[in-house]
Amino acid sequence: MISLSEAAKSAGKSRLEGTHLLVRAGEYACALPLASVRRVVRALSVHPLPGAAAELEGLAEFGGEPLPVLNLGRLVRAPAGPNPTYPVTVVVWVGPTEAREMLGLACDSALEVVHVPAGSVVAGDGGFLLGEAPVGGEVVRVLNLEALGRTG
Amino acid sequence: MSVPHARGFLLLRRGGGLWGIANAAVDGLARHGVDYRITIGGSGGSDLVADEILGVVEDLRVWPLAPAVRRFWPEAAAGLALHGREPVVVVDPGRPPAALSAAGSEEGDHPDDEGRE
Repeated sequence: MISLSEAAKSAGKSRLEGTHLLVRAGEYACALPLASVRRVVRALSVHPLPGAAAELEGLAEFGGEPLPVLNLGRLVRAPAGPNPTYPVTVVVWVGPTEAREMLGLACDSALEVVHVPAGSVVAGDGGFLLGEAPVGGEVVRVLNLEALGRTG
Repeated sequence: MSVPHARGFLLLRRGGGLWGIANAAVDGLARHGVDYRITIGGSGGSDLVADEILGVVEDLRVWPLAPAVRRFWPEAAAGLALHGREPVVVVDPGRPPAALSAAGSEEGDHPDDEGRE
């Protein structure tokens, strides 16, 4: 027998499954699992880390903690788009649940919340890029944030 | 100028970033032309270089370096911290990052200017 709280939790989980935040990164639209999104804020002030790869924009402060900020466009190798008018930092949880960490993803804009059925995702690399899916007439990159926190 | 072994962290700026070194690891600090040279124990005698010395803070809350940072930054560090609202990379004195290395630092290599204010 499933308790009411378990049922509610299960219902909440199933609502979240497939629900993504759509963001713009250069020429690409990317879908981030909504369950991993903690907050969307105006682009945080980032301090560069000398010697870092281009994917790591630098470090910022968020909620009284240091926050590494990755450039989503570089992570997905998106061609540069027009200058963003309202760039955002999406604060997300990455890595496996038992060892998750907080990261910022620098994006050109946050677009909307969409539903991406698991069956519609094709041709991923099995890692960070889960695959691609058609959403509203556009092909979007569906991302697996759990893979981003894995070492190696 | 010698730095007494004490609690706290020496804060310095280099390459646009803010860095912290445990005070206990600092053996010496000297003006060297337009920048500063810091001698730390455990670095094999090599000096570190700084553009600016901000001072010493008594305590820093240090967070471990996240795996995602290690993936994109090939350096060792003792962790990350905040000074005010600015992120600080806390240096591992045994493995200081290349960005702080005095070896190969051209702009700070002006021994004739030593002591100039």
